[in-house]
Amino acid sequence: MNIRQITDGKEDYIELLRMGDPDESRIRKVLEEGELFLLEEHGKLRTLCVVIFSEEKKCEIKNIVTIEKDRGKGYGRYMIHYICEHYCSQYDWGYMKKDRCRDIMEFCEKCGFTDEDEVYLKKELMSEIDTKRVINLAMEAGRMLLKNGGEIFRVEETMMRICRRFGVKYVELFTLSHGLFICAGTDKEKLYTKVKQVPLSSTHLGIVAEVNDLSREIAAGHVGIEEAIKKLKKIDKMPVKRIPYQIAAAGLSAGGLGYLLGGTSMEAFVAFFVGCVVFSWSLFAGKHGVSKILVHIVGGIIIASMALAAMQIPLLGELRMEGIVTGGIMPLVPGLAFVNAIRDLADSDYLAGTVKMIDAIMVFVYIAIGVGTALSVYHHVLGGIL
Amino acid sequence: MIIKIIANLACSFIGTIAYAVMFQVPRRFYIGCGITGSVGWMMYKFASVYCSVAAASFVGTVCAVLVARMLTVRLKCPITIFMISGIITLVPGAGIYFTAYYLVTNQFAMAAAKGIGAIKVAFGIVLGIVCIVSVPREVFQKEYWVERKIAKQQKNGKRNPVNLPGERHR
Repeated sequence: MNIRQITDGKEDYIELLRMGDPDESRIRKVLEEGELFLLEEHGKLRTLCVVIFSEEKKCEIKNIVTIEKDRGKGYGRYMIHYICEHYCSQYDWGYMKKDRCRDIMEFCEKCGFTDEDEVYLKKELMSEIDTKRVINLAMEAGRMLLKNGGEIFRVEETMMRICRRFGVKYVELFTLSHGLFICAGTDKEKLYTKVKQVPLSSTHLGIVAEVNDLSREIAAGHVGIEEAIKKLKKIDKMPVKRIPYQIAAAGLSAGGLGYLLGGTSMEAFVAFFVGCVVFSWSLFAGKHGVSKILVHIVGGIIIASMALAAMQIPLLGELRMEGIVTGGIMPLVPGLAFVNAIRDLADSDYLAGTVKMIDAIMVFVYIAIGVGTALSVYHHVLGGIL
Repeated sequence: MIIKIIANLACSFIGTIAYAVMFQVPRRFYIGCGITGSVGWMMYKFASVYCSVAAASFVGTVCAVLVARMLTVRLKCPITIFMISGIITLVPGAGIYFTAYYLVTNQFAMAAAKGIGAIKVAFGIVLGIVCIVSVPREVFQKEYWVERKIAKQQKNGKRNPVNLPGERHR
């Protein structure tokens, strides 16, 4: 089944719509201000529906027609379900005029419309939303935030916001540094539980910013569930910056921060090149799935040997090992993990905080092992000559 | 002296932006990241003349996070983006590295000294973040102060027909 909205050439369908409403001039008027939807299956038109809107967050189903021989096959109900889901982000209530015909009243009852007053039946649009889809959406948003360097409280807040907006009332969340647990339900539907593992991986703060914007838009009611799922998919495919650009940035951060942390300008200059090479290595290793431990140990060896090599060049003047190394390790330093760990600890989320902190500290240990190895090889094996 | 200050300013600005690039921060936030980083580092440098490294880190963090929060409200983005770049200069990366390095090379006294120094700096940063993050968000929005001013004037009996800004919360 496939539903599409018609924007041009609405007049072509007047003939069919007259089945639900014999007055042609009224149909024309309704078509002009309302929106027309068609339900098709196997390329054949089955159901038509016209919806109009009033200001106070209400919409009215003005005309719903199913081709005569296709009646009683659930096309009408599917259409109502679709319309409710489609408009629930903008409107709260759906209305339908009462009819003398018994069949139509029965159909309305089946779709969950209830008596409003003498003339109208009404239905809460939110009630048509599928809890599982909402939770899947919230889970996906949470996963993307967590994977790309969002803090624990942001992940929980975003997931909560999405669930609340789409009418999922009972939500329990538990977030770890690399796992998400959600258990949710509504009055009608039973509890639904989902667990997702989020492996630690590279950071993309651009995605965090985009998902955050999207969650605000959802909370404000500008985006429906259908659109939100599509947007989220698009955000997930956001490209990373070009590799030469990233490598240059790594070099600059190594040089700049190396100077700040007590290097001389010459040492910072050397650190620039060290940073470039080390970051290229970590990108290369990341692409081929080399273990993290090995990446950092080899990174440490690269830093130390490049620093030792630079110290042999008389042109560069007096260089200290420490100055170059402090700058050179900067591209490998897990700054984000460290800052997020500190933030989680500050939020009293000790579990996630400690895990990230240990992750960050281990990186330093590996780098130190690499540097230590290179230095001892230089001193003991090569005897400090070269 | 002045050259040194300018060099520090430039290095912290460029260094933090470069760090932000590595974390794929969107381009429109670069300047904000640079400013946060520079403010944090310069305040740390000034403070470190008068007090210990840990206390100076606290001062630097407070200023950086303050700027980060202001920018966050203004540019409407997650605070992480500015916070990471603001604090990265103060994070005791080198301290922890040297702790590990001295451990690896069997210089335990040095390792202990460096390690405790790094922990103290980390605590300074934690305290700095907590100080600013616990301030309610409204304080950083312009409307809050405008409304407060109006409320004060009304209390004093002066009716001032200033239009309230339409959209208060976002």
